[in-house]
Amino acid sequence: MKVLGLSAVDQTRLLRICILGLISVVAIGSRLYSVLRFESVIHEFDPWFNYRTTKYLVQHGFEKFWNWFDESAWYPLGRVVGGTLYPGIMVTSAAIYNALHALNIPVDIRNVCVFLAPGFSALTAIATYQLGKEVKNETAGLLAAAFMGVAPGYISRSVAGSYDNEGIAIFLLVLTFWLWLRAVRVGSAMSAAVCALSYFYMVSAWGGYVFIINLVPLHVCVLLAMGRFSNRLYVAYSTFYALGTLASMQIPFVGFQPTFTSEHMAALGAFGLIQVVAAAYYVRARVTAVQFRAFVGCAVVLVAALGACVLVVLTMRGAVAPWTGRFYSLWDTAYAKVHIPIIASVSEHQPTAWPNFFFDLNVLIWLFPAGIYFSFRELSDNHVFLILYSVFAAYFAGVMVRLILTLTPIVCVLAGVAVANVFEAYLSRGSSGPGVAQVPRAAVIGAVLFLLCSFQWHSSWITSTAYSSPSVVLASRGPDGSHHIIDDFREAYYWLRRNTEPHERVLSWWDYGYQLAGMADRPTLVDNNTWNNTHIATVGRIMASDEDTAYELARRHDVDYVLVVFGAMLGYSGDDINKFLWMIRIAQGVYPNDVREQDFFNAAGEYAIGDTASKAMRESLLHKLCYYRFGEVMGAQAFDRVRKQRLPSSVSLHNFEEAYTTENWMVRIYRVKSLDNFGRSHHEAAKFDST
Amino acid sequence: MKPNWQAFATLLFAALAFSGTTDAVDGGLINTNAIRTIDLRSLPAVTEQVGVVVQNSHDSKAAKTYSVYIPHAKADRLAKVTVHERKSGAELQVSKMDNEHLGNILPPQPIEYRATLLQPLQPGEKISLNIDSVYLNTVEPRPKVVEQTGDQTWLWKDDACILSAYPINKEKTVVRTNGEIKAYSQIKESSKDGKSVTFGPFINGPSPNGPVEVRFRDNREQLEALTHRREYFVSHWANDLNILEHYALRNRAPALEAFDKVKQTMSRFMKARDNFVKTLLVKVPADARDMYVVDEIGNVSTSAVTRRQRLDGDAFKVMQLKPRYPLAGQWNYTWWHGYSVPLSNYLRVNHNRHALRVPFIGSIVGSASQKEEIPLTAINTHNTAVNAYELRITLPEGATNVDVRVPFDVDSIRQLPQSYYFDSSGRTVVVIEHANVAPSAVDTHVLVTYDYSVLSLWQKPLVIAIVVFALFALTSLCSRMQLGLAAAKPATTATKKTQ
Repeated sequence: MKVLGLSAVDQTRLLRICILGLISVVAIGSRLYSVLRFESVIHEFDPWFNYRTTKYLVQHGFEKFWNWFDESAWYPLGRVVGGTLYPGIMVTSAAIYNALHALNIPVDIRNVCVFLAPGFSALTAIATYQLGKEVKNETAGLLAAAFMGVAPGYISRSVAGSYDNEGIAIFLLVLTFWLWLRAVRVGSAMSAAVCALSYFYMVSAWGGYVFIINLVPLHVCVLLAMGRFSNRLYVAYSTFYALGTLASMQIPFVGFQPTFTSEHMAALGAFGLIQVVAAAYYVRARVTAVQFRAFVGCAVVLVAALGACVLVVLTMRGAVAPWTGRFYSLWDTAYAKVHIPIIASVSEHQPTAWPNFFFDLNVLIWLFPAGIYFSFRELSDNHVFLILYSVFAAYFAGVMVRLILTLTPIVCVLAGVAVANVFEAYLSRGSSGPGVAQVPRAAVIGAVLFLLCSFQWHSSWITSTAYSSPSVVLASRGPDGSHHIIDDFREAYYWLRRNTEPHERVLSWWDYGYQLAGMADRPTLVDNNTWNNTHIATVGRIMASDEDTAYELARRHDVDYVLVVFGAMLGYSGDDINKFLWMIRIAQGVYPNDVREQDFFNAAGEYAIGDTASKAMRESLLHKLCYYRFGEVMGAQAFDRVRKQRLPSSVSLHNFEEAYTTENWMVRIYRVKSLDNFGRSHHEAAKFDST
Repeated sequence: MKPNWQAFATLLFAALAFSGTTDAVDGGLINTNAIRTIDLRSLPAVTEQVGVVVQNSHDSKAAKTYSVYIPHAKADRLAKVTVHERKSGAELQVSKMDNEHLGNILPPQPIEYRATLLQPLQPGEKISLNIDSVYLNTVEPRPKVVEQTGDQTWLWKDDACILSAYPINKEKTVVRTNGEIKAYSQIKESSKDGKSVTFGPFINGPSPNGPVEVRFRDNREQLEALTHRREYFVSHWANDLNILEHYALRNRAPALEAFDKVKQTMSRFMKARDNFVKTLLVKVPADARDMYVVDEIGNVSTSAVTRRQRLDGDAFKVMQLKPRYPLAGQWNYTWWHGYSVPLSNYLRVNHNRHALRVPFIGSIVGSASQKEEIPLTAINTHNTAVNAYELRITLPEGATNVDVRVPFDVDSIRQLPQSYYFDSSGRTVVVIEHANVAPSAVDTHVLVTYDYSVLSLWQKPLVIAIVVFALFALTSLCSRMQLGLAAAKPATTATKKTQ
């Protein structure tokens, strides 16, 4: 039957394009809650760094960006920005920005950055469709795309304003995997080269590329072990590995890592292995069975000896990099807590709790095993890959909360496969019968549809309630249900930006470093790029020391302002007093003689802040800066709303003076006093002034 | 002896040329009496009115012009000079002179403005003139630093003698302020009367000679816009005039001795005064819509807009902008805000000729009031001085023969080409720059006339349609081309699965 003059095949194609278009609209639309609820603003912490570097790229051009040495970060050390970041996201935004400006559309770079992740989520949905189509059929592809578009596990990292590497990297991850499976199927060097290009883009965008460069070789090895060597596999992997590795080394931050670090060794090994296997296949085709056996024996001994020698030499020369801490914490969840407090102090590095899986994936978590089952039933090369991906992604997602992100695509694809199988069984055209016989079919289809609708509903709800807060701007509801914006962070940052000198240095805990650089535009001592543990420990030590020691240290580090975040007025629990134990722990790791964690607990072993607090706590700089004169507005009987403890009755402060405190006291900024004109200590000067 | 006519002619021409270039001040005039009134009641603008009685004491020559000198020290703060004939109230035409050197005055030399008299002043005749000049930001806070809730004391300082191009027989200076006089220069001829101080009359200058000063209290807000840029975007399609205003503002009050949050909270609670400017009031037309307030790091969500108001027959709305932080003395704040109004209220069309008449500048008022609702009358207190002003009017694509009229002299008017939103041929932007905008400029308008044909209106949709059509045609062509050598295989799903 012809509709609009189109044949049935064309009709389906048009329908598919329409559905994909609608999925894209839903994917983008559901990520705009944050803009509707709040505004078009960059979220959280790392996005502020990405935004700032993107602005720099747009203003100064690519060459300057590549060679950018940022002297305002990590004062006085500075940071080689061009060589210590993944430039993919910045280059993408700048390209979009320049393209729009070439069309005379005067778009603001901030809006490009804010809407980049939602835009790419539509592309992710399309890539997921292709992946689903590759492993099963168009139905599975469309279902997978629909799941991917709204899965909260992915939305959590790609709402409008969440301008982070993951925003484009998930698209590239799915795209690379699809292109890889396609390359294995087609077996042409061309398609493998396209896959390598996509891999290069991925490397430029996110450190998670390591997942690809381990999973693909694993796929190859497993296929070899299953005796599924083929020329197609050989061509695909050899082309992909050679081109992909060379391309990835062009990113300065990656550099020569693919040649010596442990994370990349699996790929190199698989590359060697497939050459050997290919050689073996080649030889076997030309010699007798006996000769071949002898040949294999010799070759195995030779290769093993050679490999061992190379490994020993490399290890002795120190060329093989030691395993990094973050890598260890992937295997042993308790490792970080004991050895590297700075990794453990980040909440997204914590192990995942079970409810999180359900929260982020909802019904997909049940459809996922069904999809794995269907993959096993029809075990093609593609399905081997899917199974490997699901096993590893599921493990890593269990270890670290934020890796649910890499699990989400495979869950969506397998759920799509599962539902597509259900539809296939219950909607096939051949099984039309009398009316009564249709009832079970209708019931099953109805139930599945209900499940899918409830998933959509759940996703929207989660997105709007849990994942759309910029965390720079907070919101509260009044008793009458009115929406009230709490904007203390920007108030403080903008005050710094407009009313201090551009060269004046601001000391704060590293969490606020990127925001200070982005919004206040002032030099900071430490920031979210936690590359120098000693420097962070020094800041922790300043916060934990008594006023005089802190003053001396602060002056020695040329600090002009100290910024603390204090939630006692509003009950904002993510404040510096609650983070204080991590500061102390990190400082203790470097300065064990100066800072001791147990000093900050009182005799009863409590983490108290009021008059019952330990001496070290009461005298510490952070405690003083937070509670200085706070009791005077809250009254004598007042409580700290976060700690639910009585406030300290008196806090003295002489070496620092209040420069600004925001409306709700959430951010307090202090000026480091300059030396007294008469050479007295500030305590003596204060005593003299008061008499 | 035959006169050397040639040499004589040369000499004559030289003399003529010389008199033409030096353009000397009309000699022979005398100010028989001069009274200068300095009004410090609407700071940061300082209004000086000099009333002079001018006599032509020349034997024979009638005077056609009267020169006004602006002291060099105040020249870059000058916003406006006007000269009126006192009896008739008629305004004289005033033009700025760029004389290389002025008579016998030692550098730094004053700036000369020259007023053309309505009728030449015949020898022996007298005429009374009023010279009004407006200066911005000439009054400074002293002491420079005060407590958060302390009084603001200001210092006015100037020469006791009036600078004039002509001799002055008798003169007097009266300084009027709005607050208590804290101190003033004790010279022989000075006296205080309530809120005003009089220096003079002098016959031969004050004793001791030199500058005089007045220190007075004035707790009202004073702000200065270091830069202010107002932009108009004209859209005929949407019948929309979009207005965007960029400000870099500073509170002129004395700086804070120390920031004290406790005291700030307390004075807010007690509704007591302090020196923080908390609200900025912007008057917008009553039919303004789509208002927003943004700064470099995002929305300023603490702003509000009043309902339609009416004051002295003038209907308007008031945007109450709350800066992210209250502005203490010498603190800066930068932001921009915008809104849209229907274009038809500002545009007159006569065939292809379009006339756009828009306000030259918008007003902004800072308020330190602790109240949530600021009284409506506050909107007409001009307490913000604009130091550097830029007005940009972006005309629609296709507007030609652009003509700009401003009712007073401005520093520069330019027309720049610019491209926005899919423009193919670009559009004209009128850029007007002016330093030190006088408060009276708020009520003036700029008239921009231009030709704009119906065809220009359809230019953009046509261009876009053609581009889209071309893209379709191109893709259509590409999909019909066979790029490979072999004939394309029909797509089948059979080859897809790996076996």
